[in-house]
Amino acid sequence: MPPALANGLGYKPLDGGWGWMVVVGAHISIGFAYSTPKVLSIFFKEIQQNLEASSSEIAWISSIMLAVMYAGGPVSSLLVNRFGSRPIVMLGGLLCGVSMVAASFGNSIVYLYLCIGVIGGCGLSLNLNASLTIISKYFLVKRPLANGLAMAGSPVFLCILAPVNQFLLQMFGWRGSLLILGGLMLNCCVAGALMRPVARPPKRPTSAPPLNEAKEPPKTCNTRPKMGCVNNGKKFLDFTFFKDRGFVIYLIGNVLFIFGAYAPIVFLSAYAIDQGVEEYSAAYLLSITGFVDMFVRPATGLIASSKWIRPRIQYFFSFAMVFNGTCHLLCPLVKSYAFLVTYAVFFGVGFGMVFALIFECLMDLMGNQRFPSAVGLVTIIECFPMLLGPPTAGLLVDIFDDYKYLFFMCGSVIVTGGLFLFVMNIYNYHMLEKEKPAKVREQNQITMENQDQLNISS
Amino acid sequence: MTPGERGAAVMSYSVAIVGALLLQSVSSQNEPSISTSEHTTLPVEGDSYTLQCNLTSTFSLPQESYWMKNGEEIPETRTSNRNTEYKLTKPRGDDAGWYMCVYTFEMSPPANATIEIKSAPNIIGHKRSENKNEGQVAILYCKSVGYPHPAWTWRKFDNGVHREIDNTSGRFFINSRDNYTELNIMDLDIELDPGEYHCNATNMLGSSDEMILLRVRSNLAPLWPLLGVLAEIIILVVIIVVYEKRKKPEDLQDAKPIQPTTTRTRISARGIQTKRPVC
Repeated sequence: MPPALANGLGYKPLDGGWGWMVVVGAHISIGFAYSTPKVLSIFFKEIQQNLEASSSEIAWISSIMLAVMYAGGPVSSLLVNRFGSRPIVMLGGLLCGVSMVAASFGNSIVYLYLCIGVIGGCGLSLNLNASLTIISKYFLVKRPLANGLAMAGSPVFLCILAPVNQFLLQMFGWRGSLLILGGLMLNCCVAGALMRPVARPPKRPTSAPPLNEAKEPPKTCNTRPKMGCVNNGKKFLDFTFFKDRGFVIYLIGNVLFIFGAYAPIVFLSAYAIDQGVEEYSAAYLLSITGFVDMFVRPATGLIASSKWIRPRIQYFFSFAMVFNGTCHLLCPLVKSYAFLVTYAVFFGVGFGMVFALIFECLMDLMGNQRFPSAVGLVTIIECFPMLLGPPTAGLLVDIFDDYKYLFFMCGSVIVTGGLFLFVMNIYNYHMLEKEKPAKVREQNQITMENQDQLNISS
Repeated sequence: MTPGERGAAVMSYSVAIVGALLLQSVSSQNEPSISTSEHTTLPVEGDSYTLQCNLTSTFSLPQESYWMKNGEEIPETRTSNRNTEYKLTKPRGDDAGWYMCVYTFEMSPPANATIEIKSAPNIIGHKRSENKNEGQVAILYCKSVGYPHPAWTWRKFDNGVHREIDNTSGRFFINSRDNYTELNIMDLDIELDPGEYHCNATNMLGSSDEMILLRVRSNLAPLWPLLGVLAEIIILVVIIVVYEKRKKPEDLQDAKPIQPTTTRTRISARGIQTKRPVC
């Protein structure tokens, strides 16, 4: 059982009210962040013809964008810690919009790499980190639900942007479409405007005389935390996280999951065509997965918010991972289209469950103070399995000339990650229970020190 | 002419004639003759049609024989028989063409015979519509099957009338070869160029026509939707900021402070965190 809480906020989060508008903002922001690299591929064929580039050169645009988005995590957490979420999301939206508009005037592939890939990727990484942080500031009790709703932005925007992009491409060509898409991405600025910073209440609202109070708090406030702020500035990547047992367990489980998560998406329609399904029906499978995903994420958030699951959320997360992995392991057994549709549905369920919980669990482990830096570190480390996963799976397909090994590999890696998380979390909670008495004593000591200072000053 | 000279002239003429006849018979004896099946026109009755070549009247056996279609050898048709055949199962448009059976010999040059399989043209490859931006190059193409290879013409369907393509601006280039034709339009003009283009393939047996719709997009077209989106964004941001400023005088307390000694319910997995002073 997880021990008692301290979220380190120092105030009780709203858990509603304006918080739901913030969730809408985060939904939009996260939606653009995850779906843009995928929907850009709709333009690739026309860009390829126009700029006379090869298929692999074109595909690099998406890869660079994803890589920069994930690698920019630490920088974005630094900025969020310093400036808060609102200006960062607005800056991110501005960067994305400007990058797309600039890209529409491009004449070479390298120019597109720079504009869409690097600048666009930076904008998206700022969006992602800041949106997740602000949710943790506004919600505590209903935080899993808020996270589920916000992460649902990814499939929703994928389903909206794909046909919109197709329409724009036909009406305006790829340059006009990028121009308009840039304008649409400026909606992230609207999302940022919604992310009103949380108003901090005054620190000591008790009956101490104002003069003395004015003197004391600034002194204690200015000396010690200043070093903390400088330290944060110096440490670009905060490696002290690796000393936290829970963090390392989470990281390993996540890396295993991400390695196996994206390859089935990339190869699902190819596998279906290989089994004899026709092209349109095979493409339809991915839409089914996305559609199911859209509803599963908020539902998972709702379930995780309930009082039975919330204390055991880490176990729920490992269950979701094992479910996802098992789906993949069972996939090669299905041959007919009806069963493939069933697989797509279960895949959507599993995928949605894991992604709804992936950041909630990190928030749960790290607490609100350390979450922005933690998420930055996690995303930059996740960059590697994400970029390596699909090509490795493709290599397996090439060597064995059979898709079933791809699914076996992905399924087994994900199941391993889930089981690892499950077992190690049991161990972690056990160790935390053991360390609890020592921590309680330390906490009481500090509280007594604070009370003494108050008595001295009054 | 004296009688003696007349006799000599007749003698030389007759020697020449006999010599030519002899040469003719000798060469025709050496030249192999091939009897072939009939030329035909598709479609044929029945499920298949067989092309036959029989090598007659030659004193030497052929080394081998093979079939060619439209000037290229058909793989896996090499045999060493005198009589060779090639079967077309369910012959369709793309089976039309000129077929040739070729016999090779050790000591003499190869011999061949041609069989023509004709059919009316049928356009099989074309794009229904083409969207390009103004100033770009548009390539409209048509592919057909049929034999003999058709004569291609391109026309534009303007106001209910088929019109020949007007090349006074010099931007139109037509390349036609056998069963493929291409219409290249340089530097697309948004006023003059959009519309229906028809490619027409005609040979002695019939003709076929297909339509391609060309749309030319203006380079400034996306500006209006962009301005619309920007306007929407500015309006929304202004509304949100104004709403926030107006609420400020009323007590905009998003969070309430808590006393440090309150007991809390178990919600998170973390241990108790030591308090850090926050700036």
